Amino acid sequence: MNNPFEFNTEEILHEVKEIRKNVLKMNHGAGQGHTGADLSEADILASLYFRLLRYTKENPRDPQRDRFILSKGHGVGGFYCTLMQAGLLDKNLLGTYLEFDSKLPGHPVRQKNDFVEVNTGALGHGLPIGVGMAIAAKKQNLDYKVYVLTGDGELQEGSNWEAAMTASHYKLDNLIWIIDRNNLQLADFTENIVALEPLGQKLEAFGMEYLEINGNDPGAIISTIESLAPNGKPKAILARTTKGCGVSFIENQPSWHHKVPTDEELSRAMEELSC
Amino acid sequence: MLGNSVAQDLRDVMVDSLTSLTRQGLNIAVLVSDSTSTAKIAPFKQEFPDRLINVGIAEQSLIGTAAGMALGGFVAVTANAAPFLVHRANEQVKNDVCYSNSNVKLMGLNAGVCYGPLASTHHAIDDVSIMRGFGNILIFTPSDGIEARQVFAYALNYVGPVYIRMDSAKLPNIHDEGYIFRPGQPDILRLGNDITIIAMGSTAHEAVAAGKLLQEDGISADIISLPSIRPLEPSKIVESLCKTSLAITVEEHSQHGGIGSLVSEIIAEHGIQCRLKRLGFPEGKFAVSGPRDEMRKHIGIDAASVARTAKEMIK
Repeated sequence: MNNPFEFNTEEILHEVKEIRKNVLKMNHGAGQGHTGADLSEADILASLYFRLLRYTKENPRDPQRDRFILSKGHGVGGFYCTLMQAGLLDKNLLGTYLEFDSKLPGHPVRQKNDFVEVNTGALGHGLPIGVGMAIAAKKQNLDYKVYVLTGDGELQEGSNWEAAMTASHYKLDNLIWIIDRNNLQLADFTENIVALEPLGQKLEAFGMEYLEINGNDPGAIISTIESLAPNGKPKAILARTTKGCGVSFIENQPSWHHKVPTDEELSRAMEELSC
Repeated sequence: MLGNSVAQDLRDVMVDSLTSLTRQGLNIAVLVSDSTSTAKIAPFKQEFPDRLINVGIAEQSLIGTAAGMALGGFVAVTANAAPFLVHRANEQVKNDVCYSNSNVKLMGLNAGVCYGPLASTHHAIDDVSIMRGFGNILIFTPSDGIEARQVFAYALNYVGPVYIRMDSAKLPNIHDEGYIFRPGQPDILRLGNDITIIAMGSTAHEAVAAGKLLQEDGISADIISLPSIRPLEPSKIVESLCKTSLAITVEEHSQHGGIGSLVSEIIAEHGIQCRLKRLGFPEGKFAVSGPRDEMRKHIGIDAASVARTAKEMIK
């Protein structure tokens, strides 16, 4: 099975811009949303859905497919807009985000969307579930890979480290854990709340094959993940990103964790993203 | 009463069921959190070493990993002590198992106060209450080996979340070999006229024994066990409560949220004129720890206390 797009970096960058525009429109329309997180992860999601993930549009639950778990479920806006851009979700639903019984609730729900693997939102759940899926693949001799995208503040949840130990013990080299390291959590910078660094050393100490990349550079994301080899080690990719990436007045501002643009801010953001 | 020589440990029945159903081709994986001895899982491990995953002492990861394996095509069975399952991994049970509707079977081992003297960290006297709060998980409380075998067969073939409240005591059979477990159906163990005694799991044995004591005093009791808390079709309970107008619930569980609450709801919703006494751990307190038999006496759920309560209510 292949990725249905297999886009190059330039093509992905085009999609990323469209995803960011749609995120802003969607959150503006709904009057709610996790704008900062939606924007920081866009390059990672576009790289996955337009290049790295092997899946078919026709059969979202194909047993051979690669799995993607959005453990940072609050980044669902970026996820929906990526699925829409890839033709996996109806773009006409964009205006229904967060409405009553919407197909686009504020965290991913698998009963609402066949491209959602598992219901997330509470933090620290995705990695253990990914470990289970990776074990299931190995036990059934299936060659699918399991991608888990966590936030960075999320790593304060101990369940991630439980799962990391299990992943390492069971040599789950089919597990690719991507950390959206945008340095911010709900209230402040992670290092001001409870410091995560030296994160790379921690990940290595837990038995991960650790790699650090610019998570807002699809070229780096793709070349790094495509170079991973099955060596008995689960992969941990620290993707250094900018929260709110792409819109100057949103970038690195803690207040934009779940702030949404005003009419005027939306116009300014659209201008920036159209450059 | 517990510890009869022909009695069975439900965990042995569980392991035997897991082994035979795996042999028959069911795609079972068992996950433990350093709880191999608690689950008595060695015979399964010996025959299917590749199907046993030990995640270490990490209950949150245990349940998340089980959900992942279930979503990856396995019938994922977790087997660890009930308190660490329902309390430590509560959010994983809620989200990864129930909300995601993954095909995970949660075996709540040594539930209630099986670990009596080890004190409240090791008690699970609110597990049924907690599981009842998660709307879609089936809840079963087998009372002997004959029933347990059928509960396991049903649960493992059912697609979706299941919680099974497990006892650690060896339980004698209170059913004969012809007994048929029906999900949703109360189990009428004895028919009477004067009072209804409703129990679950191992307290069904106390209820049966209480029924015998009452009979000696010329009192006949309906004795009902609830092996299937969810689903539950209440008509047989309604019928009994309407007939006797007096009821006692007997559970090694908090008085709140377990079968005492469940029967209260039935009485209220059906507008039944029935006086109910809920026997179980009282509200607002942790259990007083000690030998399990003494704990049962202390809260009045042993056979003699149940019979005494029944007689007081009938007076």
